[in-house]
Amino acid sequence: MSARRLLGARWASTVIGALLAAVYIVPVYWMVATSLKRPGDVFADPPDIVPSPVSFGAYAEAVFANTHVLRGLANSTVVGAGTTLLTLALALPAAYGMARFRLRFVSAFLLLFLVVQMIPAINVALPMFVIFSHLGLVNSYLGLVLANCSLALPLAVVVLRPYFLAVPGEVVEAARVDGCGQWSAFLRIALPVSVPGIVTVAVVSFLGAWGEFVFALALVTKDQMQPVSVVLAGLTNAFGTRWNDVMAVSAVVSLPIFLAFLFLQRFVVGGLTAGATKN
Amino acid sequence: MALLLGKRRAVARRTAPRARRRPPLSTYLFVLPAVVFVAATVLYPLVYNVAISFRDVGLREIVAGGGDFVGFDNYLAELRKPEFRNALLVSLLYTVLGVGLAFVCGLAMAVFLNRRFPGRDLMRSVLLVAWVLPTVVSANVWKWMLDGGHGLLNTVLGALGLVDDDLFWLLEPATALASVVLATVWTLAPFAMILLLAGLQNIPGPLYEAARIDGANAWQRFTRITVPMLRPVSMTVLLLLFVTTFKTFDTIYLMTRGGPGNATMILPIHAYLEAFSFFRFGTGAAATTVMLLIPLLLSLFYFRSLRKEDLA
Repeated sequence: MSARRLLGARWASTVIGALLAAVYIVPVYWMVATSLKRPGDVFADPPDIVPSPVSFGAYAEAVFANTHVLRGLANSTVVGAGTTLLTLALALPAAYGMARFRLRFVSAFLLLFLVVQMIPAINVALPMFVIFSHLGLVNSYLGLVLANCSLALPLAVVVLRPYFLAVPGEVVEAARVDGCGQWSAFLRIALPVSVPGIVTVAVVSFLGAWGEFVFALALVTKDQMQPVSVVLAGLTNAFGTRWNDVMAVSAVVSLPIFLAFLFLQRFVVGGLTAGATKN
Repeated sequence: MALLLGKRRAVARRTAPRARRRPPLSTYLFVLPAVVFVAATVLYPLVYNVAISFRDVGLREIVAGGGDFVGFDNYLAELRKPEFRNALLVSLLYTVLGVGLAFVCGLAMAVFLNRRFPGRDLMRSVLLVAWVLPTVVSANVWKWMLDGGHGLLNTVLGALGLVDDDLFWLLEPATALASVVLATVWTLAPFAMILLLAGLQNIPGPLYEAARIDGANAWQRFTRITVPMLRPVSMTVLLLLFVTTFKTFDTIYLMTRGGPGNATMILPIHAYLEAFSFFRFGTGAAATTVMLLIPLLLSLFYFRSLRKEDLA
C-alpha cells in the first residue's frame, strides 16, 4: 500500500469513527440542549438544534427550587458516601488477606464474589424488603447502604486483590521482622502502595450507589428518603412530561459521572473492566 | 479467563512469595467480615426468598410476620399464569436480541478501534461515557429521543425521508421491544468493546504478518486468526452480556414499565410488580426463584467448560 493510500485509509477510519461517536454524543448533547430550553421551545417543530435563547430556567426550577430533587441529591450523596466507606472497610482487608496469606477456601471465596455479581438485583431486593421490614430498616440510610454495599463489595474484592498480589512479599516480611503486627503491616505497608486500587474502588462504589435504582425503588416507600435516581424516574409520567425539567435533573445526576470520567478515567475504566476479566 | 487466572498465579508466585506454613487462624479475620457480609446480605436473602416462595405472604404478613405454608402453590400459580409465561418469553427474546446485537456491535467497534487513526483515543473515551452513564439517565434520554410527537429520532428519520408520519416508538408493541433493545445495546456495546479490544490486543501481531505473507486477505485473516484467538474472551463477554441483560430492570421500567400491554414485560419487572404493586410477595418470590435458575445454570455450564478447557 502506498503511503498516500495508507493515509487515506486512516482518514476514512476517522470519518467512520466520527459517525459512530455521533451515535454516542448526540443523545448526551440532546440531554444538555433540551435542559437549556424554555418549556415552550422544547416542542418546537422542527426542533432547535442549538437552544435559543439559552435558558437556565429548568435548572433553577426543577433542581434548585425543587425540594424533592434536592433532598434526593442529598440522600444519594449520603448513601453513596456510606456505601463507599463500608465497602472499603470490608473489601480492603479481605482482598489483602486473600492475596497475602495461603488461606484455605480462597478460590471458593473468589468464586462466591464472582457469582454473586450475576444475581439479578430484584432477587435480593424482594426478600430484603421483607427482612428489612421486620428489622425497621425500610426507609433508612443504613438499609440502603447495606443493600448497595452488597453490590459493591464483591466487585471491590475482585478488583483489589491483584493490587495486593503485586505488593512485594519481602517488604511486608521486613516490616514483620521489625516488629509490625499483621494488621499494622497491612495498614502501614500494603495500603499506602495500593492507593490507585483504593481510589478505583472508592469511585466505582460511589458511582454505583449514586445511580442504583432497583434497591432504591424497593427499599424506600417514603418520598423524602428516595435517592435521586428514583426521584428522577418519578418525573416522567403519562400526562405530559416536562422534558426540559427531566433533562436538567438527568444532567445533574450525570454530573458526578462526567467529573469522574474527566479526572479519574483510568481508575474508572480500569476498575469496571477489571472485575470482568481479572481473577 | 482461565488463561488469565493461570498467568496471574505465576505472577503472584514471583512477586509475592507467601509463607510456607499454613497461616495462623487469626489471618482469617482479614477475610471473615467481607464473607459474612456477603453471606448475610446476599445469600441469606436468597434463601429467605425461597422460604417466602412456599408461603402465602401478603402485606399483612410483611408487617406481622409469618404466612401460611402453601407448598408449591405459588409456583403452580405463577407457571399457570399467562403473564408469567409471556414475561419469560419476552425476557428471553429481549436478552437474546440484546446480547447478540451488543456483541456484534461491540466486536465491530473493537476491531475498528484496534486500528490506528487520528482521534482514536478520544473516540474510545466517548463510547465509554455511554456505558458509565447511570441507566436511569440513559433510559430517560432515549425515552425523550424516541418520543412520538417531538422526538429527535423521528425528526432525523423524517428529514432523511425514511418515515412520513410520526412513529410512536414506545406505544406500539413491536417497536417498543425494538426500542428497549436499542437503548440496551447502546449502553452495553461499549462494555463488550472494551473487553474484546483487550482480547484483540493480546493476539500476537506476527500471526497476521505470517498470514499476510501466505496471501490471506483481510476477511480470511479475520475468520482464521481473530475469531479463533478471540474465542475465550468472547465466551466471557457473552456470559457477562447475558447475565447483565437478563437482569436489566431500570432501562425497561423507565422507558415502558413493561408496556404497551405486556410487550416489554420482562421477568424482573413482572416479579417486582407482583410483589410491590399487588403485594403478592409469595408468588413474586416464586417468580424470582424460577428466574434465578437461568443465569445460574448458564454460569455453571460456563465454569464447567472453562475447567474442561483447562484440563485439555
